[in-house]
Amino acid sequence: MDGLVNSESLHDFIIQPLISLRNIEISPLLQSRRDTLTFLSEEVLCAGEIEIVQDRDAQLTNLLSGQSVILVPGYTESLRINVSGVEERSVTEPLTQTVVRGPMEAFTENFQRNVALIRRKIKDPNLWVDARRIGTVTRTKVALMYISSIASDKVVDEVRRRLDRIQIDGILESGYIEEFIQDRTYTPFPTVYNSERPDVIAAGLLEGKVAILVDGTPFVLLVPALFIHFFQSPEDYAQRFDISTLIRLLRYISFFITLFAPSLYIAVTTFHQEMLPTNLLINLAAQREGVPFPAFIEALLMEITYEILREAGIRMPRTVGQAVSIVGTLVIGQAAVQAGIISAVMVIIVSITAISSYVMPSGSMSISVRMLRFLFMGLAASLGIFGIFAGILGLLFHLCKLRSFGVPYMTPLAPFISQDQKDTLFRYPWPRMKTRPALIGDKNKIRQKPDQ
Amino acid sequence: MKKIGIGLLCGLLLLMVTTGCWNRRELNTLAIQLGTGIDKVGNQYRLSVQVVNPGQVAAGYNSATMRSPVTLYAATAPTLFEAFRKLTTLSPRKVYGAHIRVLILGESLAREGVDKVLDLLSRDAENRTDFYIMIARRNTAENTLKVLTLLEKIPSNKLYSSLDASSHAWAPTTAFTLDQLISQLVTEGLNPVLTGVQIQGDPRIGETPKNVEEIEPATRLVLSDLAVFHKARMIGWLNEQESRGYNLIMNNVKSTAASLTCPGGGKLTVEVLRNNTKIKGHVEDGEPSINIHIKTEANIAEVNCEIDLDNPVTIKKVEEQMKDTAFELMEKSVEAAQNRYKTDIFGFGQAIFRSNPKYWDQVSERWTEKFVRLKVNYSGVCLIRRSGTTGNTFLKDIKR
Repeated sequence: MDGLVNSESLHDFIIQPLISLRNIEISPLLQSRRDTLTFLSEEVLCAGEIEIVQDRDAQLTNLLSGQSVILVPGYTESLRINVSGVEERSVTEPLTQTVVRGPMEAFTENFQRNVALIRRKIKDPNLWVDARRIGTVTRTKVALMYISSIASDKVVDEVRRRLDRIQIDGILESGYIEEFIQDRTYTPFPTVYNSERPDVIAAGLLEGKVAILVDGTPFVLLVPALFIHFFQSPEDYAQRFDISTLIRLLRYISFFITLFAPSLYIAVTTFHQEMLPTNLLINLAAQREGVPFPAFIEALLMEITYEILREAGIRMPRTVGQAVSIVGTLVIGQAAVQAGIISAVMVIIVSITAISSYVMPSGSMSISVRMLRFLFMGLAASLGIFGIFAGILGLLFHLCKLRSFGVPYMTPLAPFISQDQKDTLFRYPWPRMKTRPALIGDKNKIRQKPDQ
Repeated sequence: MKKIGIGLLCGLLLLMVTTGCWNRRELNTLAIQLGTGIDKVGNQYRLSVQVVNPGQVAAGYNSATMRSPVTLYAATAPTLFEAFRKLTTLSPRKVYGAHIRVLILGESLAREGVDKVLDLLSRDAENRTDFYIMIARRNTAENTLKVLTLLEKIPSNKLYSSLDASSHAWAPTTAFTLDQLISQLVTEGLNPVLTGVQIQGDPRIGETPKNVEEIEPATRLVLSDLAVFHKARMIGWLNEQESRGYNLIMNNVKSTAASLTCPGGGKLTVEVLRNNTKIKGHVEDGEPSINIHIKTEANIAEVNCEIDLDNPVTIKKVEEQMKDTAFELMEKSVEAAQNRYKTDIFGFGQAIFRSNPKYWDQVSERWTEKFVRLKVNYSGVCLIRRSGTTGNTFLKDIKR
């Protein structure tokens, strides 16, 4: 298969030995052996990964994955030799979840290399890889990876069962798998964690989680994923604990800002003017003088404009990027305010909301917050703070009901597990984090010797 | 799942429909009322509200044309609520009352009784009750609200903050909010007082922008002494000394300045840091009496005479004199209440009630006559803590 095979090794390890066979008398050698295939595989070919395969279909798949197959007349079996080699992107810095301090490598599209990147971090015989092919047409390699001495059997079995249940023609990205295996399909919150950083996946494995690698994508899934995991950055563990704790606090604050800032503004300025300090009220009222829209419409306009700009920023070709961003900032920042269509406070609110949403280290959580923000804005515009709190209540019910592979989503907050608070709101110093999170790595809870 | 989805969708659609009705008010549809004035005209109430003009007040929105930062709407109606609603015929926006800073009552209304006007303000859900109440001395509330002020562009805000500041640092003033006033009105054996506000200068100049163009405005609003009430009716004013004594007795003094006379002539001023006054009632042989105990701590703030502050004996003398001055102030105040106004503004009746409820039941009907003849005993401790950054004054070292 041209393009899938490393032609150099094909030439060196298969064709060259086969040609050299012609120069020597082979019949005595052959007679001393039971059959040609064994002879070929053991004496002639010098490739590392050689296997005699019975199954024709499997052999076809192997051929299509870039391996070489040698058919010998008179045999139903055939030889499989791994000389596959596709032109690959090399390991680069991660584009998402960037850190200042910490490893700077990311997964690639190559399955083997991704496994190797993890293995390089965890050199333990108990790190198991359980691979299978999913997709009747694409036959994509999907593998479970876990540390068998730590990960809970229940979770591993559950992941395996859910993966085996998938019947689909093709898997092109780990997102396909994510939607198939998550506990609830209709929820705004992610219940599967994904990362392109080997150190994040390795840390998850050490906590007893299960990683799911999919060939062809640098994004590796990690389950079970809890609410708090989306607020933990790999840098938290590389930095000192005190600053990590404070920054984590900042992330929770920004989570609330990005979720509630526009809706609180709407609620307070249209229903609860008495809650503002008098001078602030007068200031806000002055800015709203002459603005033709109600606060809700104003907020909606600005939020949608921002979402359009954001989406355009991702999709547009790099070359026109600058032009679009200039137009965008001018339209939002200056012209809208000067034209008197939007009040200046609203621009501030939308900006702080937008910036806060990028503080969260995981993109999947900020996406769910983006959607919920609009729901809360609607609630605030119709029912004021009462509406917001009704919404919060509903949201809490929903969050507490969610589970990720059997583990309650809000663990360790609800159910409250005091022992796991050391890595929730706070990040305790490493010598104090002696145990693994409960309910996940329940086979081996102890991380450190107790007396240090 | 589908059912829940449809339900959610319907809910959201319904929310969209509810937007725009019910209690929703945009900020630019509100006339934010910061000061309220109530006067009595014949049998009717004259309500005047000071509404802020946000564009003129907020920073960064100064337009070239100078317009008044506030405007005044006034309406006359038999009841206050009607008057409030009648304001809409004048104002382009609905008058919004949650941010009232001061309520000014005309002196003539106060002399007829303030109780009836307070009901609406305490009943209405929109109002907060944390605004200060003042009496417009020798004037109407309406005129008082018309005076433009410098520094604080909004006159109501000016009154609010200057009363707030002076009630903390100057003994003769005291600040009462609506809920405090009402609780004073309903408490047995206690009559309220309220701070007065006075227009100094010509009220007509005060209305014009000219008033705020000068360094020294021609017309200004000054907080004056305390108005004394009997039940809900205002009956007179205490002067500055008596107001000071009143606040001393009522334990309202947080910090103030008090001047004393030096033994060898000249003045010495102390800054009162802390003061604590306790009122205790006693009944002996059917005769009530009151014991007032003060504990005051002060620093020496200003010395204008030759005095040896290094000597503990002198400090003791100063302390004694401070105590005497305090007693004198309180005596004056009590005397004014007993003889001039015959009203128990100090809550002595309340103190008697607390110490001897049975006796109070007997005398509560004719408490005023008992109060007039009430014996008041004073006791106390005054302490000088520090003398500032120097010891003795340099005055006596000046070469003559």
